[in-house]
Amino acid sequence: MLYRQAGIRHRRYAAERQLWPLTFDRVLVGGVVLFLLAAPFTLDRLYLGSYLLPWLLWSSAALGLNLLMGGAGQIHLGYGAVMAIGAYTSVHLVRSGIPFELALVLAGMTSAALGIVFGAAALRVKGLYLAMSTLAMQYIIDFTISHVPGISGGTQASLQVPRVTLLGMPVTGEVTPYYVALGLCAVITLFMLNVGRTSFGRALAAIREKDYAAEIIGVGTFKYKLLAFWVSSFIGGVVGAVLAVCYLRIVTPDQFHLDLSIQLVAMVIVGGLGSVLGSFFGAALILFAPIFFNNAIGTLATQFGLGISTDLRSHIPLMLYGALIILFLLVEPLGLAKIYDNVRKYFLVWPFRHVRK
Amino acid sequence: MDFILLCELAISGVLVGLMYGLIALGIVLIYKTSGLANLAQGALAMAGGYATVAFATLAGLPMWAAIIAALALMWLGGMLIERVMLRRMIGQPVIMVIMLTLGLEIFLRGVGPGLFGSAVKPLDLGIRQAPIIIGDILINRAYLIGGAISALLIIATIALFNSQIGVRMRAVSDDQTASWSVGIRVERMIAIAWGLAAALATAAGILWGSVQGVDWSLSLLLMKALAISILGGLDSIAGVLLAAVVVGVAESLATGILDPLVGGGTRDIVASVIILMTLLVRPYGLFGREHIERV
Amino acid sequence: MQIDRRTLLAGGSALVLGQLPLPAFAQEKLIKFGAPQDFTKVYTFVTAEYSQGQRDYITLFNERGGINGFKVHLDVIDHGNDLPRAIEAFERYKREGYVLVDPLSTPMARGLVTRALEDKINMVTTLSGRSDAADGTVFPYVMPLSPNYWSQAALIIDFFLKQDKNLKGKKIVLVHIDTPFGREPIPIFQALSQRLGYEFQTFPYAPPGNDQSAIWPQVRRARPDWVIFWGAGVGQTVALSEAIRNGLPLDRLSSSVWLSESDMAVVGKDATKGVLKFEAAAGGREPKVIQDILKEVVAKGKGAGPEGKVGTSYYNIGVMMGAIQIEGLRKAFEKAPNGPYTGPWLNEGLRSIANFTAEGLLPPITTTKEDHQGGGRGRIVRWDGAKFVPQSDWGAAYQDVVWGEIRKYSEEFKKSGK
Repeated sequence: MLYRQAGIRHRRYAAERQLWPLTFDRVLVGGVVLFLLAAPFTLDRLYLGSYLLPWLLWSSAALGLNLLMGGAGQIHLGYGAVMAIGAYTSVHLVRSGIPFELALVLAGMTSAALGIVFGAAALRVKGLYLAMSTLAMQYIIDFTISHVPGISGGTQASLQVPRVTLLGMPVTGEVTPYYVALGLCAVITLFMLNVGRTSFGRALAAIREKDYAAEIIGVGTFKYKLLAFWVSSFIGGVVGAVLAVCYLRIVTPDQFHLDLSIQLVAMVIVGGLGSVLGSFFGAALILFAPIFFNNAIGTLATQFGLGISTDLRSHIPLMLYGALIILFLLVEPLGLAKIYDNVRKYFLVWPFRHVRK
Repeated sequence: MDFILLCELAISGVLVGLMYGLIALGIVLIYKTSGLANLAQGALAMAGGYATVAFATLAGLPMWAAIIAALALMWLGGMLIERVMLRRMIGQPVIMVIMLTLGLEIFLRGVGPGLFGSAVKPLDLGIRQAPIIIGDILINRAYLIGGAISALLIIATIALFNSQIGVRMRAVSDDQTASWSVGIRVERMIAIAWGLAAALATAAGILWGSVQGVDWSLSLLLMKALAISILGGLDSIAGVLLAAVVVGVAESLATGILDPLVGGGTRDIVASVIILMTLLVRPYGLFGREHIERV
Repeated sequence: MQIDRRTLLAGGSALVLGQLPLPAFAQEKLIKFGAPQDFTKVYTFVTAEYSQGQRDYITLFNERGGINGFKVHLDVIDHGNDLPRAIEAFERYKREGYVLVDPLSTPMARGLVTRALEDKINMVTTLSGRSDAADGTVFPYVMPLSPNYWSQAALIIDFFLKQDKNLKGKKIVLVHIDTPFGREPIPIFQALSQRLGYEFQTFPYAPPGNDQSAIWPQVRRARPDWVIFWGAGVGQTVALSEAIRNGLPLDRLSSSVWLSESDMAVVGKDATKGVLKFEAAAGGREPKVIQDILKEVVAKGKGAGPEGKVGTSYYNIGVMMGAIQIEGLRKAFEKAPNGPYTGPWLNEGLRSIANFTAEGLLPPITTTKEDHQGGGRGRIVRWDGAKFVPQSDWGAAYQDVVWGEIRKYSEEFKKSGK
């Protein structure tokens, strides 16, 4: 059988430390990658453009946030603002004639530079207090963006994203933006999968567990906390830029409001703190649950002539969505990743259930 | 900028601030007894407003009875939330609790408008609309009454904390294990704190509902309440009283003085700036105990 | 959560059940309109009533047999003012061959503009969206089909002028929500203040406007001759109550189109006597269309919502938009009866509506390839404690100034698209 650990012997350290030591996992990952690569040719444009594309982008953002929340244990309720900075920087740069490749990097840099300011709060407070200060910063950045006409784009407060080219390919239509997002997501995923094995990742883990203990064993909390915010904000900025170019196509201030930040935090938590796989699960659930509930209730109401008012009909998805978040936190605080892991473990030892534990 | 306008703004700031304070009080109560942050406090106020409207219009109760019924219902609701959800969160990271209460907020925001309709619902307490004019200063009657009731409730809560039950609650906030060992029923104290917080939120929801009508936007009062509770100190009930006045006046004056300069509604930013400044300068707030873990 | 055989089986079967295909629609000849609207977030104040009116009119149309054997299917769904959800709905509509989308939300309309233009699907932006979309040469597939905010502002000022004969030296104050929507009319007020010589002052309040306690004392101190309040939903009711509580004269207080009977009921029907507002479609149950709907739809139990809401301002706006959309469809069938029934096909019809009044519900609306606004006509009405009473005839004002602004911004949009 494919799905089991028995009989797998590692003869070299490299083999044991590889990302997916089990054949089954490797096959699964390969299958998913193949599916994603082939999606533009096999899937309908609807699924490509309004499910897969936003899923990849939101997952990338959730990964960036997860580095901070799961990796370094810092709470961030202002990640939407960080992405806004990236999006606005890149759009303005591209409009002024700077090539997109450069604009992308500069967007990340700007986000990172301002993201450090969020990090400065983390040097002073933590936990609930850090949550509050990042929340406050989100509001302040929102306000600044929408009140400086030079940033938001004047009375209409919307900035059209010009056509851009990336490495010579025009990013238009449905397929190229998808591949751009896929590429970005792949890079971030690989980074996140490996960051735990670097000294940087281990330092973050030390800070997450106990910051003064980390200081005692020689991990500079000052440096690594700021670094964590820097890296995570850089990712946020780049994702924001790609989001604007590939998906939104027009940026307006309210696309990056507190709602987005809360959505991202929900993705990280429901997916599983610190889990790469969880970020993907979380993004899918939080992004699509409202759409799914909405369509389902809509279909039910029209098909079976459900005698409920429009108000109730349109609010049931909202209730279900809230209840879903609550339920996941109560039933499995470690998130969807943990549920997946449990299922996987069940099969790993099947049918010899007694050897688990 | 004339002096009388400043006075008017300051007075309305004090009154509005006190009305915010009522919501902040719930956050502080819960944080003080159980150490959890309740970000659904705004949504609880909204739910309270909806409950009152429902009792008054659907069940046809007179307003005073509807208010009592709503307070009782929300008291039970608050205890239920604690029992079913928050108690299971003990020992989980802070962010879990934050997310859980945010989820609760989303849920409540669906329930209220979903059941009773999304249009703004009037809630008439019978306060006359005509302004009170003293000298040349105009005082808004609705805010005057609302602010006075809020101040009374806040003071009553402070008094409660000096009664026997309050002493027990303070003991719980000091050290749960120690309280347990001297025979204080910690769970019950926390449940009471939640019930009280939900009832206070309902009072706030009713007062704000009479000012602006009841709809989902009542839940937005959370941000102001957070600013107040952080400025006053998350575990200080007396702090709420002073911080409420400070936040209210600061917001009101900012609207009068800053708005024309920046050409925008600065009111919401004031709350954010107050939160940031407090956390950077004096993270435990004006009256909070200096226990929070500094880095 | 512990996984054992039982949970695994339960989870698996739930997944399978979730995948079951739902029964498909009966195959009829349908023209499909999509209405992804905001029922749960910012636009809750209007959407339910608007949607009810729109659906009732379309039911009326279908009950009467539709057109050329075709009926109209209107798909209503909530987008919660969240762009990914609006985009998902838009893309789904695109795939399923919808020819018109009506998002009824300014941020969503702005976010979907590029998609609508690229995919050639008509996007109706009723009394919302970009004001400059009235310029059909730049925005061929964005259809406001209703007086934009600039036309409303111009008409309100025109009404003030007619009342006072001369606005020179008068003071007009705008209390507005501090969002792009609230700031939108300011250029028109400023331009007109130069032409007519009044003094203009603005007071922004933080969105959504549930707390305006510090604004209105300042308005009172400014001693304005006229006050315009510009917001939506809870901001409007709070503005009204604050105006009353600060003792401002209500008969010199005017709103944009977003003020309804239910807002008046929240503040107090008698307390608000005298307040003015802009109206794009006649209110009340008198217009013939509303009577027809009552007789042929509501009486048969096919109404889309509570009967009490029939005839409210927002309901009638919904009927108005339903009627204009259907009129566009009629014109499209006149031009090309055999289709193909696509976005561009309907677009031809929507852009050639001529003097359409929906049997007296609306001021005459005429759209052309250049003008998607339809003339910008409306009127000012006054609340008398029970209903809004017209104070002027249907008309438009200062369209030269309005079109100056429209061209200015649409030019800018055209340039930025490159």
